[in-house]
Amino acid sequence: MYSEKVIDHYKNPRNVGSMPKNDPEVGTGMVGAPECGDVMRLQIKVNPETQVIEDAKFKTFGCGSAIASSSLATEWVKGKTIEDALQIKNTDIVRELSLPPVKIHCSVLAEDAIKAAIGDWKSRHSESASEPQASAASPKAE
Amino acid sequence: MADDYFAFFGLPEKLTIDADDLERRYLGLSWKLHPDNFVNAEEFERNLSLERSSQLNDAYRTLRDPVARVEYLLARKGVRKEGQTKQQAPPELLEEVFELNESLEELQMARESGGDGNEMKALRDRLQAAGKSFEEKLAEVDEELTAVCAEWDAAIDANADEAKRSTLMARMNEILNRRSYIRNLVSNVSRELEESATA
Ligand code: FES
Repeated sequence: MYSEKVIDHYKNPRNVGSMPKNDPEVGTGMVGAPECGDVMRLQIKVNPETQVIEDAKFKTFGCGSAIASSSLATEWVKGKTIEDALQIKNTDIVRELSLPPVKIHCSVLAEDAIKAAIGDWKSRHSESASEPQASAASPKAE
Repeated sequence: MADDYFAFFGLPEKLTIDADDLERRYLGLSWKLHPDNFVNAEEFERNLSLERSSQLNDAYRTLRDPVARVEYLLARKGVRKEGQTKQQAPPELLEEVFELNESLEELQMARESGGDGNEMKALRDRLQAAGKSFEEKLAEVDEELTAVCAEWDAAIDANADEAKRSTLMARMNEILNRRSYIRNLVSNVSRELEESATA
C-alpha cells in the first residue's frame, strides 16, 4: 500500500537525529497524532541574521507514512527561510508521497511539527534577543 | 436509522450501556435478520437482510466497547474527524511518551544486536517500571472518561441544551486524545517486553 517514495524515505530516512534543545538557535517541535497516538519531533537550526533554516533533524515513532513525511519535511525546510517553510502544507506532502486518504493525518503531523519547531524558535529567539536589552536597561533604571 | 447505531438498537444516545441488555437486543435483531428467514424471499430482500446483518455487527462491535462508543458518538456529531484534530495533547505527556519510545528503541536495538545481558536487563527493568506507570495512567484516563460519560447521560436525561452538550463532547475528545498516546505506548511496551523476554 506504500508508494515507492514512501518506502525510499522509510528505508533511508534523511536527517534522523537530534540537536541540543537549549541551543537558542534551535527550534524544537514535538507533536502527536491523536488518531493513532504516534509522536514526532522535528528540530531546526536557524541563522538569526538571515532567518534561513540551516539544518533540520527529526525523530518519529510512528507509521511508515509519518516517518516518510517527516523525513521529506526536513529535506524541504533546509535552506528555506522560516517564512517560506511556514508555507509548506500537508497536502504538498500527500501529493509528493502519494499518500492514501487514511494516511493524511500522518502528513498533518509533519506540517504541525514544522510549525511547532518554528514557533518554538521564534519564542526562544525573541527571548534571547530581549535579554541583552533588559540587562542594558537595568543599569539605567538604577 | 442505519447510520445511527443507537437507534438501530432502539437505544437513546447515552453512553452507559448495559452489556447484557445490548447483547439481548443484538441477538434479537440478528435472529430477525438471519439469512435462514429469507430463503424463500425475493433476492433484493435477501440482499437487504445481508446488508443489515453486517451493519448490525458493526453497530454491536462499536457500542459494546465503551471507548469505541464514545469515538462513534463524537465522529457522528462532527467533533472528531480524521486528519482534522488540531488539538494537541499536553506537551509534558508528549515528552514523556517520546522519551519512553526512545528507551523502547534502545532495548529493541540492544536485543537485535544481541546486546549485553546485564545492560538489557537494566533496560527491561526500567521499561517495565515506566510501562506500569503508564498502565496506571490509562486506568486514570478511563475513569475520567467514565465520569464524563455519566455526566453526558445525565445531560441527555435532563434534555440539556446544545452548549452543554458541546462542552461535554469537547471534554470527551480531549480525554480520548490523551488516551490514544497512552494506550499506544502501553501496547508497544508490552510487546517489546514480551519479545525481549524470549530473546
Ligand atoms: S498512523 Fe500514526 S502517524 Fe501514521
